[in-house]
Parts: sequence; structure tokens; C-alpha cells
Amino acid sequence: MSEQASSYFGPAKGNILERRPLVSNNRSMGWVTSHIAGMLESKTPVWWWVAVVLSAVVATLVPFELIYLVSTGVGIWGSNQPVSWAWDITNFVFWIGIGHAGTLISAILFLTRQKWRTSINRAAEAMTIFAVICAGIFPAFHVGRVWMAWYLAPIPNANAIWPNFKSPLLWDVFAVSTYFTVSLIFWYIGLVPDLATIRDRATGKFRKFVYGLFALGWRGANRQWRHYEKAYLILAGISTPLVLSVHSIVSFDFATSVIPGWHTTIFPPYFVAGAIFGGFAMVLTLMIPVRAIFGLHDMITRKHIDNMAKIIVLTGSIVGYAYLIELFIAWYSGNPNEWWAFLHNRVLPSAPYAWAYWMMMFCNVIAPQLFWFKWCRTNIIAVWIIVQFPNVGMWFERFVIICTSLHRDFLPSSWGMFVPSINDILLFVGTFGLFLFLFLLFLRFLPAITIFEVKAVLPEADPHYRDPHAEGAKH
Amino acid sequence: MKHIFQHPPETGTAKAYWRSVEDFSNTEQFQGWLNREFPQGASEFWGDGVSRRNFLRLMGASMALAGLGLSACRRPEAHIVPFSKTPEWQIPGRTLNFATSMPRRRGGVPLLVNSYSGRPIKVEGNPSHSLSLGKSDAFAQSSLLDLYDPDRSHRFVKAGSASNQEEFVKVLGELKQSWASSQGKGLAVLSEDNLSPTEDRLRAELAAKYPSSVWSYYEPALGSHDRAAAEAAYGKGARIKLDVEKASVILSLDSDFLGDEATLSSIRGFVQGRQVENADSPMNRLYVVESRYSSTGGMADHRLRLPASRIIAVAAALAKEIGAKNLPIFPDLPSLDIDPGWINEAAKDLIAAGSSALVVVGVGQPLQVHLAVLAINEALGARGNTFQVTRLERPDSVSLTDLVTKIRADEVTDLLVLGGNPVYNAPADLDWTSLQKSVKSVIRLGYYEDETSELSGWHLPQAHYLETWGDAVLQEGSHGCIQPLILPLHGGLSSIQLLGLLLDVPAGEGKIFVDGPELVKETFMRKAGAFATIFDFENAWNLFVRDGFLKDSAPRVETAAFAVSGTVVPATGREVSPAPLGKDNLEVVFIADSKVDDGRYINNGWLQEVPDVMTKLTWDNAALLSSKTAGELGIYSGVQVQGITADGVYYSDVITITVDGRSLDVPFLVVPGHPDYSITLPLGYGHEKTGRVGQGVGFNAYQLRTSTAPHLVTGATVVKTSAKRHDFAITQEHWSMEGRDIVREAPIAYYKDNPGFVRALGIESHTPENKSFYKTPAFDYVKYHQWGMTVDLTTCVGCNACVLACQAENNIPIVGKDQVKKGREIHWIRIDRYFAGSQRDIEMGKGIIPSDPEVVLQPVMCMHCENAPCETVCPVNATIHNEEGLNVMAYNRCIGTRYCANNCPYKVRRFNWFDYNQRQLDQLYWGPLGPKGVEETVKMSKNPNVTVRMRGVMEKCTFCVQRIETAKIDHKVKTQRTERKIPTDSLQVACQQACPADAIVFGDLSDPESRVNKLKKRQLNYKLLDYLNTQPRLSYLARVRNPNMKMPGAELVGMSLVNSRIHSHGGHHDVHGTSGDKPAEYSTEGRAH
Repeated sequence: MSEQASSYFGPAKGNILERRPLVSNNRSMGWVTSHIAGMLESKTPVWWWVAVVLSAVVATLVPFELIYLVSTGVGIWGSNQPVSWAWDITNFVFWIGIGHAGTLISAILFLTRQKWRTSINRAAEAMTIFAVICAGIFPAFHVGRVWMAWYLAPIPNANAIWPNFKSPLLWDVFAVSTYFTVSLIFWYIGLVPDLATIRDRATGKFRKFVYGLFALGWRGANRQWRHYEKAYLILAGISTPLVLSVHSIVSFDFATSVIPGWHTTIFPPYFVAGAIFGGFAMVLTLMIPVRAIFGLHDMITRKHIDNMAKIIVLTGSIVGYAYLIELFIAWYSGNPNEWWAFLHNRVLPSAPYAWAYWMMMFCNVIAPQLFWFKWCRTNIIAVWIIVQFPNVGMWFERFVIICTSLHRDFLPSSWGMFVPSINDILLFVGTFGLFLFLFLLFLRFLPAITIFEVKAVLPEADPHYRDPHAEGAKH
Repeated sequence: MKHIFQHPPETGTAKAYWRSVEDFSNTEQFQGWLNREFPQGASEFWGDGVSRRNFLRLMGASMALAGLGLSACRRPEAHIVPFSKTPEWQIPGRTLNFATSMPRRRGGVPLLVNSYSGRPIKVEGNPSHSLSLGKSDAFAQSSLLDLYDPDRSHRFVKAGSASNQEEFVKVLGELKQSWASSQGKGLAVLSEDNLSPTEDRLRAELAAKYPSSVWSYYEPALGSHDRAAAEAAYGKGARIKLDVEKASVILSLDSDFLGDEATLSSIRGFVQGRQVENADSPMNRLYVVESRYSSTGGMADHRLRLPASRIIAVAAALAKEIGAKNLPIFPDLPSLDIDPGWINEAAKDLIAAGSSALVVVGVGQPLQVHLAVLAINEALGARGNTFQVTRLERPDSVSLTDLVTKIRADEVTDLLVLGGNPVYNAPADLDWTSLQKSVKSVIRLGYYEDETSELSGWHLPQAHYLETWGDAVLQEGSHGCIQPLILPLHGGLSSIQLLGLLLDVPAGEGKIFVDGPELVKETFMRKAGAFATIFDFENAWNLFVRDGFLKDSAPRVETAAFAVSGTVVPATGREVSPAPLGKDNLEVVFIADSKVDDGRYINNGWLQEVPDVMTKLTWDNAALLSSKTAGELGIYSGVQVQGITADGVYYSDVITITVDGRSLDVPFLVVPGHPDYSITLPLGYGHEKTGRVGQGVGFNAYQLRTSTAPHLVTGATVVKTSAKRHDFAITQEHWSMEGRDIVREAPIAYYKDNPGFVRALGIESHTPENKSFYKTPAFDYVKYHQWGMTVDLTTCVGCNACVLACQAENNIPIVGKDQVKKGREIHWIRIDRYFAGSQRDIEMGKGIIPSDPEVVLQPVMCMHCENAPCETVCPVNATIHNEEGLNVMAYNRCIGTRYCANNCPYKVRRFNWFDYNQRQLDQLYWGPLGPKGVEETVKMSKNPNVTVRMRGVMEKCTFCVQRIETAKIDHKVKTQRTERKIPTDSLQVACQQACPADAIVFGDLSDPESRVNKLKKRQLNYKLLDYLNTQPRLSYLARVRNPNMKMPGAELVGMSLVNSRIHSHGGHHDVHGTSGDKPAEYSTEGRAH
């Protein structure tokens, strides 16, 4: 326990401010296990069936749209010349951004010993993986000839042609696939002890077998714990730079180009901040309903939500600062094309996409400032409503960067407009269906909260818990 | 039995350009080989004893060979070798070139057509003809697609149902009998005017055989006033021939002599006076008074916009200033609201130029203006220098109006319609539709089963000029040959074949129609007979066919006195209205469309999709008007160029134009620089029945056009049609350069004061030098060619020939109106058009359409950057640099990430969003559910040396890499690999080859002697967006104008960029070497030529 005490809620009692416990209501270890395992052991609730069927129906838009896309051509989207990338890459960056919070919570907060992460990291990591799956669909299928996309792999083919290692798009391929792989392993390794718990509690044979298979023979032995903790630490170490690198590299797609509005050195940190911002917003979007439905108030406490809201206001302000610096540099650089791209493509009311720019500004910079007010951070409904702004705003950020920069660049003769087609919209909606569908499956079949880690932050986990000798040591 | 070949003998004078093995053709070995029918054994075969085995073997081989090429080759009678037995000079994989001519209403265009295994695949200008010198134009380039148009008429139709040739011949035989007895009474022929000497000859014979028959010509877009004026001034048959290259001061009165009314020689002549090598180069000067903004107006040094019906006043004033004699009587008109100094100073400039001055006039102007212009030119002493009088005698014909009178009087029972489409395009007041119905039998020869065919008893398929023999009077008057390159694809006939049948010209054994050159040859013999020096007719004929024209056959220049009798007072008719123009008295100007002409090319997808140079409109026509007019009419709010919908599509409301009780619903386009109270209506659209490409495209302006005012009419009114919206497919939405240094220009005097102005205008002039840690590998200028290009912005007139030449050469598909609307046009070269503002147009800065802007054009294609942004970003190495400096595309490797297109600052990369080469354009969104594959004939038009791209790959200009490789291989073969590089400038890329202004120059930068190298050393040379350090291999030569400094507003001509750069940053002087906050000043002395 930390010596420095502070109060999150309510007036301080006595002279010393107690740190608010991470699991409230003095829940026991047994309660934690049975409550979390109960989420997947109880009778399947009706709402789950309704939700899973609905999301599956929406998710079928994805294969439908992809078949149409591949069989007919990229022309079914609204992209054109000069806006050759539009919703495809916007959606890709959007989903990749969402996929940031999970690994950040798991790895960086783990390394920095932020214990409050324990009750949200599992779900956030799952969200990461599903978001990266949704993200991957777009770059893979936005190409004109998907069946030739294997040219991106560094396989010297019959012509001995390698991919172009100078291309940021190739870096993307490596960055995203590495990120996905490491995130998946990290997530799975973290699941193993809990899978064993579920296995041990399982009543049916089949259930026991399947969970047993994935539990990899975990028995909770000391040696296993030692190996596990080391492996988890190493994976956290590997994941941490990836959290920063993947979105930096995604930003290189734009930053290394020559297009005004893209060609910006500020992009890597700005993208990473934006990704964490958007990722936390999505974690809250998902976890607040889950918390309510499964009654997880004791594990996902207001403190958790409060912490996440603070991160949102921090990253949102970083993003806002980046927007302003970008604008300032565009003017200060003296490059008329650069300044034009900001002023006439985005900022001025006469700009064709001014509405998108100001939408982004409002959602990402203004709206999260509400989290300065404590009431906004503690009222769960208010939090849920406010975090929808970053969700929308972060999509618009990518749209603004990609579309408004492309649609009017150097030669006015080649200026044009972008308008999404119905297929752009349906595919994007479909990925939301897919995302929710996968998340619902996750809630039903895997422990959505890390049982053993939550137990580790209970007071009982402290070896000196109720040790009379320790009583005095507290002061 | 042995077949004797009659190859045209080599002449000592002309080089045999078009034999692919030219270099060997004179060797003894080759000649010997040439004289043998079969390469080996066969010639010996006949002399010796024949074994049965040998006989069968050889016959079998011959049959097998015969089967190979029969389907696509015409078997000529004697003089060209049938492909059924592969001709000796045919090398598989190589093209053969044949000279021919394309018939046009203003005279034929001499061409050289490349044929690949019997398929014509590319049309070029005829390099040995002085008119062309290898150059061609948009219509010639795109005529190839017409040849392969699958929608062309391919059957004999009798009263709407399919028939056949035999039946037609039988019916015609009966008709001929009845004509024979009645001297041809009741027979009338209505024809397009192809200016064919053979047709003229047969016409005379027809008149002799059937003296009571009538012949009439109808060319809707061919004005009659120019000829009438010439004949009034110089006697019957007189024609005016312009020598623009000799003119140093030119004034155009509504003449688009560099655009829609251009000939190859007028463009070349004009740009020859604009070769700005340095600041002291002489430049001609162009004054333009015109209505709509034309290409000629875009080239003008001083442009005055006036309604077409007011230009007569300028002509009158000018004639007065210049002191012209023998003027026609001008109507009384309200005084002009223009600066009198304009006419005054222009007249002074013309007078100073004297015999090297030239005034030209547009076809649509009234007869008085034509007469006045002749008088002015005479008074200037220009005759014999900048214009000549020649004579073209033709048999008599009656006008369409006279023919109509005869039909109304029931004097016509049998009508022969040769080409044309009168039901669609006859003047509305004649009510041709019901007239044609009233004629007993109508036989129609046409390219399409169109509106006229529908109302004809018989429809016969017409053959394309590349399918039949024929001849033409070329644009400068010489006798041109039309020879077929392929058998008629759809069994079509030419008009002379039909006339031959009518005249019972013997067609040869077992044939109905003359399908050889006999008819043309006969004409040629008679014509050549006039040349006393030609004795060997057979040889002369062979030369004629080989060269494509008869040398020195242009009509002689005449010295007839200029004599307009004072009695020539033409009726002004509806063309000029004495009442002032206003929103209730608008004028309507009918023009031939820059793309589909008078409607004849409506089914040509290439022409439909090429953007009009000024409006950038594709797949449509629209009423063009000024923002002021539109504002007063209450049809337009006046801020943006046009409305843009949320989906980024340009649209306009539909308006109804009413003239004399006739009305037309048509969308409108507000065009900068258009005169007020004038509406320009391009003709040629709105067909009710034609091929699939042209069906239902645009609006039929012929509905407003009458025989009394075919080009210009006043008294029109406009109302907005309620709630109708029309979408346009416009390829360039933005019309301003926004002060960017894209097209750099200045007047020549400014250039003289600031020799380095071109560089000073660019961002790169005040950005620090690019420094990089990365050393870009240098190109090897010794071992390899280094390709580069320059485009001269001073001489580009925006004729679109390059765009279409590129389309034909590089198998570029069309994408259709819907895709162009979405911004997915796929042309590899585009002509950017910017309206450049000046101080007159303060509105410019406020986003309002400038009323009187200048125009600058800029052809843009792949720059082949040495430091190409597209290359670094391609993840699969599909676009890379080769050692010759070309930015090459590997279509096989491309997976279509489109990253390259995004990162291209010039936006020249084009993506195949759909399978444009495999899918029908109206069913692109159906994907695999729609039909796949294209018509066979369309496949035949493809260049076999260029990949046909599939969907999902990126493409762009390759600098015609196939031509480069062919030239290199040829040279390697020729020199037996002893020489590494091809000779200086021995290679032309397609756009360069077509460009009649010679504005595009391509060549080898590693060769110090190459033209491109010399051009790049000029002071005017600059690179587009140079500050990005892309190191483009294509550079531009800045535009230079030559204003007369005494003219009103002259100090602003060509200064828009210079001025805007000065003002763009609030007093910060962007133009180095100029000073002051006011517009840059420079010595304002008028420059001599």
C-alpha cells in the first residue's frame, strides 16, 4: 500500500486519507472467482441471444460487401481521383486506433504497476484483438487486386522481386501483423490461469475438455507461476514499444508523403495520443454496459471509470494541442500549399469539409473537457454519453486527415470531392457488427475480468493482511 | 499464271517512310526476294516438271496461308498485295503504314495509317504532305474508333426490316429503268459534302445521264457565307486560302481558326510566329473579337468579348479605320459599348503590319462581315502574302431549301440520301421529317441506322473511309487519295460505289459494286492528265496511292481583281437585330461541337469523353452563357461556377430557350469570359436514334435552328423550366490557379526586363536548397538514353489531339459519363485550363466568376520524376525507375493500393476502378452478374504493343515506352548492335506526333543535339512544383504573350500570375527582381515583331 493517501470520493475521514480499495465492499476471493466465472457459467441470458443474433446479422454485411468488392472492383466505393483513399483507410486507422487501449492497459499499466488495470485489462485486450481484426479487413481488401496481395509478403518470388522496403504501407503490414500477433499471444497467456479455473469449475465433460485443452495443463504450481510471471513480464515488455510503434507507423503512411496536410512530422505522437484517446473511449463504451449487466460494480469501480476519464481528458488535450500546433506550423512554415490545405480545405466555413473538421474539433477537443468536472466523471450515464464524442470524433479525425488533404492538393485542376457510396457505409457498419459479435462471444465464453489478478489486489492477497505486526507499520 | 507484283517503284526523291524494312528495300538481295512470289521453291516449281507430291504440298501450304488473313483483308485487284498470301514486306509483329486521307467538309486531312496484321490501329498525319508534316487532329485520331464501332450499320434494311444486297440491286434496277425513260425526272440526291473529285465526276455523269435529276448538298455546320463572299469578290468558285504563318498581326472576328474551324496549317502557321527562343524572338500578335470563349480567344493577346451579332459593328468600324473600299452596306446598329481605343489601336497595329496583317472571320458571321473582311485584307495589302485566292470548280448543285421546294411541289419521287442525317439535323423550319415521308422512295446510305434511316424505304450501310477507295480535295486544295486498309467490317458501301452502280459502271466479273480503285483511278487519270509532265500514268497512280496525294496538285493562286459590286447587299435576316440585346432579346449562336462536330461523331466514345477545352464538359452539351446573363435571367445565383450537389456533381437547372415559337429544353453552363446576352449552343447532341454510345446524350440544338439563320439568331427568350435538374460530367471543377505558380506566364516585354522571371515566380526561388542525407544514384548519361520532354505553353492551343492520340496509342478505355462524374476519367494526358484573373476582375478573389478573364492551358501527364514520390510509397515495387529515367509501371506487379496516386503531386495516375475493358459501361456495378467481354471489333482496335489493363491496377503515361523500345530494337538490328543509342530525335511519342502546334517535344537528354535538350536550356524552361524536389523529366516552357502596349488594359495582359504573386503575401514581394506594391511595371513600349 502506498504511503501517500488521497481521496477520490467523499470527504476524508480523519487525518489520513485512505486509498480507496480497488475492489469495494470487502469482497472475498471466493466471491471474485464465482462472480466472474458465473458470467459464463450461468444460463445464457435472453438479451445475449438477441444481441448476438442482431450483431451477427449486421456482421454478415462484411462478407457480403467483400464478395461484391472483390468480384466487381474498388469502384463500388466512392473513392475517386484525387481521393483514392477514403473510408477504407479512414476505417482502418479508426479501428487500429481503438485497438490501442487494450495493449496499453495490459502492458504499459502493468509495467508501471498501475494495479487498477486488473479489472479492465482482459476485456480491453479482447477489444484490441477484435478491433485489429476489423482494421485488417480494410487495408487487405482496399487494394485493387486482393488475390495478388501476397506480393506484400517478403517472399522472393519467381521474378526475385522483393517488396519495396521504402514504402510505409509495407511497414504497416509488418507493424499491424506484429501487433496483432503479440497482442493475441499476450492476451492468451494472460488467460491461461483463468481458463484453468473455468476448467476446474466445469461440470460438463465437453466443457472440461475444451477449457482444459486451452488451459495448457495449468495446475497453479509454483514453478508454473514463476514461469508465467516471467513470460507475462517479457510479453509486456515486447508489447509496450509496439503500442507506440504501430500507430506511429500507421501515421507514416501520411507523414512520409508529400501531400499538404499529410506531410507533417508531428503525426507519430499525435496519432498515438489519439489512438489511446479513442481506445479508452471505446473501452468505456463497452465496459459501462457490461458492468451494469453483469453487476461488476465492485470490481469495475467508479475509481476505474474515473481514472479512464482522466486519461481521456489528458489524451484529448494532447490531441487538441496537436491540432493547434499543426495549424500553427502550417501557417508559420510559409508554405502556401500547406496553409491552403488547412485554411481552405478544413478551417474556413467555405471549405468543403469544414463541417467534418469542426465536428472533429468539437468531439475530440471540446467535449472531453467536460471530464474536468467531477460530476461528469462520476455520473456513469454522463461518462458513457461523453465518451461517444471521442468515438465519433476520432473517426472524423482520420477522415479529415485523409480526405480533406487529398481532395484539394497542389494543382487546382485536379481538385475533386469525395462522397461515400452505400457500400462504403455498409462495410463500415458491418465491421461494427463483427466487432460486437466477437465481443459478445468473448463475454459468454471467456472470463471477461482477470480472476487471478483481481484476487491479487484484494487486501487478503497481502501477506501481511491482518498481521498484527503490520498494523503499526502502516504509520 | 505467275503473279506479277506491281510494287510502286522507289522514287529518287521521296523517302519510303512506311516500309518497315525500308533500310533493306533497296538491296539487291531484297529486290530479288521481292520478285519471288513464294520465298522458297515455289517459283522454280512452275518451270520444272511437277511431281504430284510437290504439287500437293505447295498447294496445301498456300491454302493454309490463305486462310490466315482472309477475314481481315481486302483482296485488291492488282496493286496491293492481298494478305491471304502474306506480302513480302509484312513482318509479323510490325506495323505497315499506308497513306490515305480523311474526308472532311473543309477538305481532307492527309494521313498515314498504321496497320498491324491487317488491322489499322493508329492514325497519324502524313509526314510527306506539307499540310500535315506528320501532324493530325482530334477527329483524325478518333476516327479509328468509328471504324471499329460495333454499332455501325451492318445490314441492308428495307422498310425497317433486314434485307440484303441482291434485293436492293433488284429494286434499284427497276428504279433505274423508270429514270432512264424519264431522264431522271423525280430523282434527287441529297449528300454530305465530302469534297471528293470522284464523286464530283460521277455526279456530272449522273447529271448527263439523268438531266432532270437534282443534286443537293447539306452540311449543317459548314457556313456558306465565306464562299458566297469569296465568290462575290473574286468570281465563281473562288476560295480563300490563309497563310497564317506569314502574318505578324492577326485579328479574328469570331473565327475559331485555332479550334473548331482550325486546319492543321492554320495552327502550325500561327504557332510558327510564337517560337519564343529568347526575349528578342519575334512574336506575332493576335487580337480576337469573339462571342464564346474559344481556343482562339484563349491564345489571344487581346480579347474582346462581344455578342456574335454585334461583331458586325466592329467589322464596320475597323473597315472605316483601315479605309477599306468596296464595303457592303451595314445595317444600322446601336453603338457599341466598348472602349473606342480598342478598335482604334488594333486598326493602327494592323495598318502598321501592312501586308503581314491578316483579318479572319468566323463561319457564323453574316455575309457583310465576310465581305468587309475581304475588303479590309485587300486594303491592308495582305493579299498575296497572308491570304491567297484560289479556285475550286465544282458541278452545280441546288441548296437544301431549293430541294425542299421541289419536294413540296411533288417534283421529287425518288430521293437518295448519301450520308448525313437530315431528319435529325435539317433546319427546323423546313420540317424535313414530313417532307421525307412525302417522297415515294427514299434510299439512304448511312453509318448508323439513325433517325433518317427510320424514315427511309431503304437503308444501306455506309463504309468507313478506312474501308473503301475514294479521294478527296485536301484542306489546301490538292488531290488526296483514300485507300482502304481493311475490308468493310460490316459490308458497307461508299457513296461512289453506289453512284457507280447507278451509272452502270462495270464492276468486274461476278460483282455488283466496284470494290477496287477503278473509279478513283479514272478520276486520277483525268486529273493527272492536266499535268503535262506526267506521262507514265501507271507509275503516277502508284505514287499517288503510296504518297496519299498527288504532288503539286493544289490549285494555283489567282490574281483576280477584288470587285464587289455595290449591289451586293445581303439581307441581314435574323442574324443581326437592330434592337439592343437584353434579357428579353438574347442571341443564340449555334456552333459545331468541339467533340461530336455536327453530330456525326456522336457514337464515338473517345470524342464523347474528351473534355471540351474551355468548359471541360464531357458526354454533354449545354447552353453557354455569362454569369451576368444568368443572373439577370434569374436562373443562377452567381457565386460558384455551377451548383455542386452534396455528391460533388456539377449540375444546372434546365432552361427553356425559345426562338420564333420553337423552344428547346437544355441545361446551362456559366462560362467565364462569355459575352452578356448571348447564348452559345453546341450542335450535334440529342440524337433520338443512333448507336449505344451516343443515344440520348445531350440536347438537340437543331430544334431551334432555321434555314434563314443557321448560325446566329436574335430574339431568343429564356425561362427556367420548373424543378428539372441536369447533372454534368465535368473533369475540372476548379477554374482558378489560386495564385499558385502553376502556369507561369508574362508578356514578352516583361520577360525582356526580367529574363529570369520564370524561376522567380516559383516557390523554389525562395526556399532553401533541398539537402538530403540520402544520395540519389545518378543516371548514366553515357551508356543510356535519358528521356525527357518539354511542353511549350506559348504554343499549345488546346486542340485535344494529344489526348486522343494517347488514347488510341495506349489502349485507354472510356469510362462513361457516370464514372467521369465521379472523377474517374482515365486519360493519361489532360489539358488543364485555368482562367487567369487580372485587375479587371476583382471578383476573382471573391470566388465570383470573372467576367473577362484570360485563359491558360497546360497539358499535364506523368512527369517521370527522377525523385518520384509515387515510387517510394508503392509497397510492391510496381512502379520503379528504369535506367533511362522512365518511371515505369509493372501492371503485373501492381496490386492497386492507390498509394502512388495519392502521393503524386501532379495527380496524373489513373486507376482502373472497374474492369473498363471487359465490362459494359452501363453495367459496371453489376460486376460478374453483368455480361463480360467486348465486341470483337473493339478488340481489333487495340494496339498489340500495349497491355490492356485489367481492373484494380494503376496506370499512367509511360512516355510511350513501347515506341521507345521498338525504336531501340530497330536501331540495334539496323546497326548490327554496333551502336548503343538511336539517332537524335528519330523517335516521337504519340502526343508529340499528333500535336499540330508542335508544343510537345520529347527526346533524349543525354544527346546534346536533341531538340528537347535545347529547349530545356531556354530561360523560359521551368519544372512544375519544383520545390518538392521531384526532379521531373518533363518541364514546361512558360507562356509568353505579346500585348500591344497601346491597347486599353494592355498593362495587365499576361500579368495575372506576376501580380498575384506580389500581392499574395501582403506586400511581401514574391517576384524577385520587381519592386513596388503596385502591380509590377515594365517598359510599356510596344514591341515590334
